Amino acid sequence: MSVDTTVESFKGHRLAGWLDWLQMLTGLTLVCFLFAHMLFVGSVLLGAKSFDFVAAFFERTYLAQVGGPILFFLFLLHGFLGARKMPFRTKEQKLIVRHAKMMHHRDTWFWVIQAITGAILLVIASIHMWTVLSDLPITAAKGAHELETGLWLIFYLLLIIVGALHGCIGLYRIGVKWGVVTRAKRTKALKCIYYLIGVYVVVELLNLLRFYFLKV
Amino acid sequence: MQTFYTDMLCIGGGLAGERVAIEAASAGFDCIILSLVPPRRSHSCAAQGGMQAALGNCAMGEGDSPDVHFEDTVKGSDWGCDQEVARLFVDTAPIVMRELAFWGVPWNRVVPGPAVYFKGGQKFEVYEKEEKAGLITARAFGGTAKWRTCYTSDGTGHSVLYTMDCKALEVGVEVHDRVEALSLIHDGENCLGVVARCLRTGELRVYFAKTVLIATGGYGRIYKHTTNAVINQGTGLILALDTGIVPLGNMEAVQFHPTGIVPTDILVTEGCRGDGGTLLDKNEYRFMPDYEPEKAELASRDVVSRRMTEHIRKGFGVKSPYGEHLWLDIRHLGEKHITTKLREVYDICMNFLGINPIHELIPVRPTQHYSMGGVRTNKDGAAYGLKGLFAAGEAACWDLHGFNRLGGNSLAETVVAGKIVGEKIVEFLKGYEVNIKTSYATAEVKKQKERIEKLKNSSGGENVYKLRNEMQEIMMEKVGIFRNEKDLQEAVDSLRTLLDRSKKLSLASNGIGANPELAEALRLPGMIKVALCIAYGALQRKESRGAHYREDYPYRNDKEWLKRTLATWKQGDDLPTLEYEPASKVFHLPPGDRGYGEGKVIPSDEDEKSGDNK
Amino acid sequence: MSRTLHFEIFRYNPMDPDSKPHMQTYYLEEKDNMTLFLALNEIRETQDPSLQFDFVCRAAVCGSCAMVINGRPGLACKTKTKDLPDKIVLHPLPVFKLIGDLSVDTGTWFRGVAKKIEAWVHTTKTFDPNALEERMDNDLANEIFELDRCIECGCCIAACGTARMREDFLGAATINKIARFYIDPRDERTDEEYFEVIGTDEGVFGCMGLLGCEDVCPKQIPLQDQLGIMRRKMAIASLGGKVGKLFSVFSKKKK
Repeated sequence: MSVDTTVESFKGHRLAGWLDWLQMLTGLTLVCFLFAHMLFVGSVLLGAKSFDFVAAFFERTYLAQVGGPILFFLFLLHGFLGARKMPFRTKEQKLIVRHAKMMHHRDTWFWVIQAITGAILLVIASIHMWTVLSDLPITAAKGAHELETGLWLIFYLLLIIVGALHGCIGLYRIGVKWGVVTRAKRTKALKCIYYLIGVYVVVELLNLLRFYFLKV
Repeated sequence: MQTFYTDMLCIGGGLAGERVAIEAASAGFDCIILSLVPPRRSHSCAAQGGMQAALGNCAMGEGDSPDVHFEDTVKGSDWGCDQEVARLFVDTAPIVMRELAFWGVPWNRVVPGPAVYFKGGQKFEVYEKEEKAGLITARAFGGTAKWRTCYTSDGTGHSVLYTMDCKALEVGVEVHDRVEALSLIHDGENCLGVVARCLRTGELRVYFAKTVLIATGGYGRIYKHTTNAVINQGTGLILALDTGIVPLGNMEAVQFHPTGIVPTDILVTEGCRGDGGTLLDKNEYRFMPDYEPEKAELASRDVVSRRMTEHIRKGFGVKSPYGEHLWLDIRHLGEKHITTKLREVYDICMNFLGINPIHELIPVRPTQHYSMGGVRTNKDGAAYGLKGLFAAGEAACWDLHGFNRLGGNSLAETVVAGKIVGEKIVEFLKGYEVNIKTSYATAEVKKQKERIEKLKNSSGGENVYKLRNEMQEIMMEKVGIFRNEKDLQEAVDSLRTLLDRSKKLSLASNGIGANPELAEALRLPGMIKVALCIAYGALQRKESRGAHYREDYPYRNDKEWLKRTLATWKQGDDLPTLEYEPASKVFHLPPGDRGYGEGKVIPSDEDEKSGDNK
Repeated sequence: MSRTLHFEIFRYNPMDPDSKPHMQTYYLEEKDNMTLFLALNEIRETQDPSLQFDFVCRAAVCGSCAMVINGRPGLACKTKTKDLPDKIVLHPLPVFKLIGDLSVDTGTWFRGVAKKIEAWVHTTKTFDPNALEERMDNDLANEIFELDRCIECGCCIAACGTARMREDFLGAATINKIARFYIDPRDERTDEEYFEVIGTDEGVFGCMGLLGCEDVCPKQIPLQDQLGIMRRKMAIASLGGKVGKLFSVFSKKKK
């Protein structure tokens, strides 16, 4: 006995696979960007001039004007794809929290964290991208000016932490889901993820402080 | 009331039941399996060791054939088996193993080249042939001349059961799990179906069927210490006994396994000894070679169990809060062997004892393990007394095992008998019609309803668990490995009293829904009857044969006892009625010495003529 | 060592109109080598004969007795009381239909998914009783057995966040089952046919990598690794056409 399958019905079902690829690839791209972003912004540690130089480079090559919106699109796409897996109804949300509490299980909590940070990111990273991309060129002075209001400081603190958690845990879970992080490599992978979160948060905090105390 | 109708109704969803069901369903008949638990949870899944079939693929099995297998089986049975059945079995077993491979069982295969084995603690090397590469391989089991036990690592029962259940699913066998058959519906001549109780809701149901198969496995739970699962309470045997017509065969033939762990009585496979595990006493001295110089730990189960008990009685047992025991030593097999080929054993020791068998000794004692007796059938699997009633597997007395079963023969029996009986049922069903009168069902349902109501409302004051424990203790102490007139008589007397007291059972709980106390109370009187069949049969059998060992009659007596006990239970009696029939219609292998270096034989007259047939 | 164990056990008999879901307290003297199997039976026999729970083999091979033990799904028969604190809280497994107290209907659930994924060897051949068996490499046989070891206890399903939120999620045990047939050369199903069965959001793509399954599996089946492998294979199959062919070098099934 074998399964009868028609070509048509098979093609229709491929969508789930394609969407899964997309979710993984957009996620991976965004994590890469996150760390690249950390390094670009990190140029401010060397001074406002070097930051402005890097920023100008991106604009001169139109990477900011074209790449920015593309990234924004990928970001929204990733958010949409992720939302397909998220608990939307209150009943489901309650269930997953109750489940996590019952299990006392690290990786289950990771997922809850990721779901929450994902939802937050969708809002605050959008704001961040909008404010930056709608007011080109990017300069250190603008950044410093923005931070003069305390509210933005809190905003960026939140963005750093939420972004780090979502990105790094996401990276770990891509590894797990796609079989790169196997049973044998799991402990090591987790350690790497903790380091990554640490590095990202520390560097971005330094960046933030540098902007905050930047006198232009 | 829910009423079902089917061509074949299979009571029990273990290996035997499913194999028969597959045969019937494949032939286009409607088939329903009733099972106390989901079929994959049946006790068949716990069998670790393997299945015997004379494939002769591995180096140590070279030269094996159904003839050699036949000889081992008959000797093992101490000539108590039906030799026609044994012949049928050994000839069919290789085909069934191959069929299982075809269905998906991941049998271990021959790896060509030099291989290292352990036997009796000794390491030795053999060469596996290139031409046999990839064929089904085998391991050693007690009481066999050749290595012929097919296995999948140490989860043979599990893999075969899962493959079987997959096959059953494929061919459309319907499964009603968590349903317990309470009694057979019959008209005194034909079996018409069963009255059953749903263990989810507690409601009664009627199943009408042209044929009914009893495949409920063993009854180990009437003993205090047993390797059997908690569902092995002999429920199928009770169904047969309650008809008053259908006899149980050789109920006194009860096998004890040498290596149940202390205190939980979980079995550690014979594979341990097959692979070279040894038995040690309190001085960590290996005693088996003293008793059985040739086979040592690999003598048949009844012999090893008895020697262990004997050694403990001599004062060499290890004392523990749970009674005396001996040690099983597998340390010399090494970590790799223990954690792969004997992983289930490793897990059992770690999980249930907190003992690491790579470095430590395992506490073991002989424990009730297998019931050779059961619903007596002919070689087609048809029960005596009722048309349309069949039995297969451990629940049946087909009679492949006689008075002692070889390791690996029972698991093989489930599927081999399953195929053979299944084919016979298909033959039987073709063109078969029976008049089903609903009044028989109505009467039976009324009877069961009254029983349940009586239990719920009774103020008799007898507690079901207390009574059950008393029965289990009597059986363990007085109808165990060593038996004698005095103990057996006492056992029969106390069991009769228990049976009487069981009429005054009353529930402590409300009995609503899937109430476990009610389920137990419904089974208990039947269990006591089964116990009485064993004790009374053992009392009457004044000889020692296979696992039935009488201290007061230590010889096998072929002159008077080369026969099979048949026990029926007439309504209103408090003892079974015993009758006897010849052990075998034909003797391809005349009674002789088992070759285990124990026991004397009183030969029958014919036997003297037939000469030496070792 | 003797301590008094304090049990909090979920009680509800759906067949009894007077019964309401609640937690009931029992106390029991701990004994040497006590497992939850022994403890629960003692409670039933001496304190409360109506208490429902399931045991069959009591040796961790049949998968009947899974329950939530102090928050974690596990097999009661192989849980030693000495490894637990004084207070032991027992719940029935979530996801599965409750039969009563600690007893749930895992059998129907697993039979349902087995039907859905057609969990049997699909072959066009017929069995020839006179022929030798088809040869198989012993390593492959062991590999199949390794995945075949699942006892369908339901722990991985109960521990899975996805399964709790999405009723139709197949769960780790089922995907592992598919993996077992996937590596079995006797099963002639193609990648596309497997994709049809589990290449969906209810199948491999529904797994969100929470690893609850991996961490509670009482048989230590490599669920994490199998989920990864199957996701990769199915994702590549989903590409189809030329792209799929490019990747298929890495995912060729042993035939």
